[in-house]
Formats: sequence, structure tokens, C-alpha cells
Amino acid sequence: MDETVAEFIKRTILKIPMNELTTILKAWDFLSENQLQTVNFRQRKESVVQHLIRLCEEKRASLNDAALLDIIYTQFHQHQKVWDVFQMSKGPGEDVDLFDMKQFKNSFKKILQRALKNVTVSFRETEENAVWIRIAWGTQYTKPNQYKPTYVVYYSQTPYAFKSSSTLRRNTPLLGQALTIASKHHQIVKMDLRSRYLDSLKAIVFKQYNQTFETHNSTTPLQERSLGLDINMDSRIIHENIVEKERVQRITQETFGDYSQPQLEFAQYKLETKFKSDLNGSILAEREEPLRCLIKFSSPHLLEALKSLAPAGECRIQKPLCYSASYSQGTQDLSSC
Amino acid sequence: MEQANPLCPEGESKGGVLAHLERLETQVSRSRKQSEELQSAQAQEGALGTKIHKLRHLRDELRAAVWHRRGNVKACIANVEPNRTVEVNEQEALEEKLENVKAVLQAYHFTGLSGKLTSRGVCVCINTAFEGNLLDSYFVDLVIQKPLRIHHHSVPVFIPLEEIAAKYLQTNIQHFLFSLCEYLNAYSGRKYQADRLQSDFAALLTGPLQRNPLCNLLSFTYKLDPGGQSFPFCARLVYKDLTATLPTDVTVTCQGGEALSTSWEEQRASHETLFCTKPLHQVFASFARREKLDESGLLIDCFHCTGNTSEVSNQY
Repeated sequence: MDETVAEFIKRTILKIPMNELTTILKAWDFLSENQLQTVNFRQRKESVVQHLIRLCEEKRASLNDAALLDIIYTQFHQHQKVWDVFQMSKGPGEDVDLFDMKQFKNSFKKILQRALKNVTVSFRETEENAVWIRIAWGTQYTKPNQYKPTYVVYYSQTPYAFKSSSTLRRNTPLLGQALTIASKHHQIVKMDLRSRYLDSLKAIVFKQYNQTFETHNSTTPLQERSLGLDINMDSRIIHENIVEKERVQRITQETFGDYSQPQLEFAQYKLETKFKSDLNGSILAEREEPLRCLIKFSSPHLLEALKSLAPAGECRIQKPLCYSASYSQGTQDLSSC
Repeated sequence: MEQANPLCPEGESKGGVLAHLERLETQVSRSRKQSEELQSAQAQEGALGTKIHKLRHLRDELRAAVWHRRGNVKACIANVEPNRTVEVNEQEALEEKLENVKAVLQAYHFTGLSGKLTSRGVCVCINTAFEGNLLDSYFVDLVIQKPLRIHHHSVPVFIPLEEIAAKYLQTNIQHFLFSLCEYLNAYSGRKYQADRLQSDFAALLTGPLQRNPLCNLLSFTYKLDPGGQSFPFCARLVYKDLTATLPTDVTVTCQGGEALSTSWEEQRASHETLFCTKPLHQVFASFARREKLDESGLLIDCFHCTGNTSEVSNQY
């Protein structure tokens, strides 16, 4: 086994936390059950790693096996990377997409290897019709750097691919080209969507965020929710509050639904607006040119935060944030609170 | 005058008359008091007597009233009970109606296309089926506005929903729904065939089944007699028509590669035709049946053989 490969495997295994080690090794499926049973996982991590490296040497692990382990580690720790979304498109009147996984893999690899002699490409298919691609970049003269790979998750027979953002930006056009040609598309465009959470990006882009539908079997949700009102108050005040709170709950539920929201950390809007003012001579009001600005919302969980704004009485949302067409087309009328 | 008083002796004759008068006076007053007391007692007696009469009268009245009321209540109960049974009957009838309606709504699922009105439009449910088997259901929630738009849906990403919507949603919603039904039913049917092949006929496959999300390109290798000496066949099924459950192109090759005998060539050609005309799992079912027939034929031959050898051994 190559020294570099051994070093690479060692560093990868060292990254894995002890409680995940057996799971990941089983998913890797490179070392046999018997071999794994000989390892004492209760030792100090260094000793465990040494033992595992020896076993890998016995089995003559290749660079490809090591790359596969790296993919599995990344799949378990998706949130450590920031993912961008790319959308591909076909020309009009294209043939039906007859996606052949073997053909795609060969084509993708060939395109990259033709352009850059030194590149390591590895694939791992998942059950949800997605293929994880790992690319370690080199140049004409240097070997691929295994410690700064790029990951692409491509959902076959869809126009979407997710790419981990990396510092080596110069390879992005080549990667886009390889993906487009191998999947038989014409164009690739980067969407204005980025997140650490692949599942949330998937939910937004595939429009799978709300999977509850009204059928005749489902019962309509009851309005009896605890609204947390003070019982000692005058019952007439409680009644008025209930009516208003129920209205807010209903609008919030219609807009956001009952499901857990996709996890976004920030959203940015271009805003063009004119200010209204009752006071005469206000600086911002009564300008001919509208005011143009960029508004950025950020939060650990942006959509949940917005969802809880209205019931908390913090704002009035006039037009619902609807991401029915595409996420970047959400319009919002921010009235003064 | 001689004041002889027969009543009292001489010693008392001086105060005799006055005392006598006094005595008489006190007697009179005593008797007067007595008679007054007697009168008042009598009056009291009279008053109590009338009170007793009044109370007795009142008691009788109240008793009569109670009996009267009881009689009324009984009459009321007698009247109410027939009403209550009527109510129960009505309730049962309503429940029956409800069950009927629910059953009818469920039956709509079998038509493949059903819907429910929502607050902003309609939620359409497409139930797919293939060969009489009910398969997955898909939902499309439509908002009835100008323009008509899809609020959310559970259609898989690789079904060209946007294309179909762009063509038909605004102009002809019926066509939109039927077209979508076509695509989804065909997809479900292809998926069903591929799943059945993988699960029921794994013994005849010599390698994993290669498939894609739309199940419109399938390639696999199979043997008619697993474990036998024959060469495996490679099949590649292409479904260019996404609204169909049968392939548009089929290529069957023999993995041996060398020149095939005519029987193998015939088999290969017949397999190609079979895959084009029959659903995938049915073709394999016919392979499995043929295999069983062949097996039973083979057993008979073996039996004859053993019969011969025993004869031979007997000779020695």
C-alpha cells in the first residue's frame, strides 16, 4: 500500500469520532467482519487507528478505497460543508432523458481526466437516486491534493446538482462542463441558494417541503390550541384576544404549513421602495427616485423564526412568503411595524 | 236590733257584714277571674282548633297537588319515551348515511382521479394502478386564482410536471390532469415491473438490475437455467415513450460473444419480441414456468437412467 494512501486513510479515520467509527467502517464495507472483530475499540484512538491501518495494508487498500471512505465520512458530516445549488437545462425539443449510470460515470471521469491529467474521481450511489462524486484536483504537473476535494451530489434525471463550496474556484467551470455533458444537458447555472443543510436545499429545490395534503380521510385541524392566555383576566378581553390570535394562527398556518421548515440561515432581497410619511419634510419620504437597498435576514433557522414572528405579535406580513414558483422570486411587502 | 248572725258567732259579728261583703266580693272577683280564664282558654282552644282545621286543609290540598303532579309526570314520561326512540333511529340513519358517503369517497380512489375542495382551491389525488394492482398515490394542490397555480405537490422530481403545466394548466385543466395521470400511471407501472423482477425473479438474474429513477432504461443479464451451462443473455430495455409501460426498443445479446448456434439465435430473437410485447415480470414468469417443465422432463429421463443402471448392476 502506498505511503500516501496509508497517510490519507489514517488522517480520515482520525477525523471520525469514536462513537461513529464502527458504523462508518461497516458502511465502508472494505474490512471484513472477522477483521473488525479483532480490533479492540476500547483502546486509545491512536492504537485503534494503528491496528486499522495494519488491516488495510493486509487487504491492500487502494486510493479508490480511501476516497470511498472519505465520501462516507462526508456523508455522515454533511453539515460541515456549505453546499451550493446548480441548475442545468436542456435545449428545447430534446429527447427523453435515458439516464445510464455507467455511461454517466465514464463520461464524467473521461472529461475531467482529459482536461487535467491528475485528478481522482470517485463515485458512491445512494438509495435516493443520487450519486455522490468526489473529485481531488491536481494539475498537469502535481498530484491530486486529497485533502481538499470537491463533492458533488447529483440527482439523476433531475436538473439539479449540489456542490460543496471549496476554495479552489478555478476548477468550477470545468466541473460544471463535465457534469452538463455527462448528464446530457446544455447549460448549467448557479442558483442563489446556499446552505449547510442538504436536506433543506433538497426540500426547497424539489418542492418537497410540505408533504401533507387534504384528503377525505384526514380530519381538519381543531382550533383548540393552548394560546397561553392569563385566566385571571376579564373574560371579554380573553375573547377578543382569542379571536385575533386565532386569525393570526390561521394565516401563519396557511402560509407556512404544519411541517418543519427547511433550514435556511440567511436570505437576501433587493428592495426598491418609497417611504410614506405623515410628517412634512421627512428626508426619506417624498423623493422621486425610489430607495434601493439590499436586505439580509439571517438566523440559525430563518424560516422558523419568521414563522414565529406573527404569533408573537412582532410584525404584519402582508403578502405571504410563497416559494411556490422558485425561491428567489419571493416578494414581500414590508410595512412599518 | 239584735244582730244575730246565723253564719258567724258573736265575736265576729262586728266585722261580720263587711267581712261577709268582702268575702263575697272576693268570691265574685275570683269567680269572675275564673270565668275569664275559662273564657280565654276556651278562646284559645277555639283558635287552635281552627288552626288545626286550616293545617289539615292545607295538608290535604298539598297531598292532592302532589298526586296530581305525579300523575302528570307519569303522563309526561309516557309521552317522552316514544320521542327518544325516534331520535335514536334518526341518529342511526345519519350514521349509516355517513358511512355510505365515506365508502363512496373511498371508492373514488379506484377511479384513479379524485379530489377534495380546500379553502383556496382543490387538492387532486391521483391513484396509480397497473394490472389491477393499486400502487402509489400522488397529490397536486391547486390554488384557484387567475392564473391557476400549483401550490404544492408530491409528484417526483423527474416527472415533467412543469412542462405539462406550462402546456395545459391555464387553458385546459382536464387535459392537464389526464396527461399527468398518464405519466404517473406509466411510471408506476414501469417501476412495478422492475420491482417485481428484482424481488420475484432474482434467481434468474446473474447480476444486479441497472435502472434509473424514471425506470425508462433497464439493463440486466439473465439465464434461463440458473446454475446451468448455458450462456447468459444481456437485455437492454429502453422506454422512450414516458406514457407507456412497454419498451420502445429492446436489445438482447448473448454474453458468450462467439458465433451462436441457430437455436440460441432463435431464442434470442424470441426473447426480444417477448420483452417488447409483454410486461417484464410476466416474461420472466413464463421463463420460470418453462424451466419447471424442462426440469420435470429431465427428472423422467434420470429415472429411466437409474432404471437401466440397476439392471446393469444386477447382472454383475
